[in-house]
Amino acid sequence: MKKAVSAVIVIAIMALGLFSMTKVASAGDEIKVVAVIQTIELAKDGNSATVVLKDDKADKSITVLVDDELTLAKFKDHRIVEGDEIRLKYEVKDGKNHSTYFRKTAGC
Amino acid sequence: MIKMRTTIVLTLFLTASAATAMAKDHPGRETIEKNGYKGPATCEECHPGTAKAFLKTVHWKHASKVNNVEGLDPKKEYGMKNRIYTMCNGNDIVNNLKEIPKSPETGKTKFSGCNTCHPGNHLSDVGSTGEAAENAIDCLICHSTDYDFRNRKPYKNEKGQIVMGQDRSTKAALSISKPTVKNCMVCHEAAGGGVLVKRGFSFTPSTDVHAAKGMVCVDCHAAKDHKMPTGYDPNNWANDGMRISCDDTKCHGSKPHKDADLNRHTARIACQTCHIPRTGGAFAKDFTKWEQGPDKFYEPTTLKKEANETVPVYAWYNKTVKNTPTFIGPKGSRKDKTSKIYPFKIFQGRAFFDKKSGKLMSMDFAPPMATGDTLAGVASAAKTLGIKSYTPVPGWQTIYFGSNHLVTKSKALSCENCHAPNGVLNFKGLGYSEKEITRLTSPGIYMEYMVKKQKEDW
Repeated sequence: MKKAVSAVIVIAIMALGLFSMTKVASAGDEIKVVAVIQTIELAKDGNSATVVLKDDKADKSITVLVDDELTLAKFKDHRIVEGDEIRLKYEVKDGKNHSTYFRKTAGC
Repeated sequence: MIKMRTTIVLTLFLTASAATAMAKDHPGRETIEKNGYKGPATCEECHPGTAKAFLKTVHWKHASKVNNVEGLDPKKEYGMKNRIYTMCNGNDIVNNLKEIPKSPETGKTKFSGCNTCHPGNHLSDVGSTGEAAENAIDCLICHSTDYDFRNRKPYKNEKGQIVMGQDRSTKAALSISKPTVKNCMVCHEAAGGGVLVKRGFSFTPSTDVHAAKGMVCVDCHAAKDHKMPTGYDPNNWANDGMRISCDDTKCHGSKPHKDADLNRHTARIACQTCHIPRTGGAFAKDFTKWEQGPDKFYEPTTLKKEANETVPVYAWYNKTVKNTPTFIGPKGSRKDKTSKIYPFKIFQGRAFFDKKSGKLMSMDFAPPMATGDTLAGVASAAKTLGIKSYTPVPGWQTIYFGSNHLVTKSKALSCENCHAPNGVLNFKGLGYSEKEITRLTSPGIYMEYMVKKQKEDW
């Protein structure tokens, strides 16, 4: 009986651990931050840009790769420029930060 | 015979090539290259009278006479120039582009105002007229695909006046065309305090079937003399007197489906109801409490979603609008045969009302943006508007925004979405009896039709 109870507890702990790990992994997939653009460097082919932003809250710089057409167009015509505050979401893929959401916080 | 055929083919080819070239290069290129771009005066060389006519449009006046909203003076003009409602709580008058007071925390200032998107230079502002106004029009912001927005920034001139800069470079002028989606979205995307806040739609191939077909905004909103046709959004009052609808004969007509059963629905159900099943943008704002951002300036507390992340509500609408201090929305009913069921984006905003009159008060954003003091903003706006006595109390206003974009064919609502218990449509709220609801929410109403369709599909 004791063995059975122990087995159930062990299984429950393992399941809980697995569930927690899954939660951590999914939370780590997308990182959200509000940060100010320091530099924008467009690729020669114009199909991507490397942007460095400063996260004042965490006091660190973040480098992200931006490749969505709408945001790239805003870099090209300077609707988004250095100094703009950005609401950013990004994912880490192959050791690089890939932007999934890049919006100016300011409106009209 | 062969020679003749060759000549015809060659002629057709040359004509087609010329047409393509015309579409790409706006005529007058050589003149602009030679003389440079001198603002509207350059455009007027080929389009005489256009600048003067543009001053009469809603894009310039931010207002027009409004004949479908209750409680308005039919002789006066209304629009973002002077309206007070809780998506913005300010307008061009109380929130005229100005320098915000220094943030006590950073010592920095910035420019802000509702009329930052006005296509003038701010010296000639909303609704201005005369030669200076005609010369101040920023034609290229709507017509150039190579506009440099570093030039479109407010600054103080030598007299201390706030001027809105423009890109009047020859480079920008050499890239003129009919407005692209980008040209329109420069302003319309960020209205209401941020990207996709006010209307909550993006116009991209993935979010709208019209964009996926390669259409641009002005294919539907096809201007005549710069007057833009618009629909009947209950919250979009100002209009150029031209209206558009999906069922216009040149677009989809009143019988747009191959199927007669679906076409039968169009008598009382608007196209948008089935073909715009999602909405987005801000759904609540609190102007009585502002939040401090990382730049230490304050913004109204806003709750928002992305395009296609929220669902609309449905109501009868006869294209006339109920307008009270706490509600702006559709009028209509099942009994009213001019009404149809439409989808709406619901927005609720909290702001200060005058306890004495019950009226919604306006807010000058400059004070709260710098310090978070919202009552100072109300006081400043009241002073501008000549209101001497008032007692501000917080309250909520509900607004129904028209849901007219994010159109889909593949994800349109189908029979089972509405004709089911607790389905998309609240039949009771829409005025149907219990007996009718029992019939309308049973699969019996569509079973035969969908079985037949299922067989055809597979």
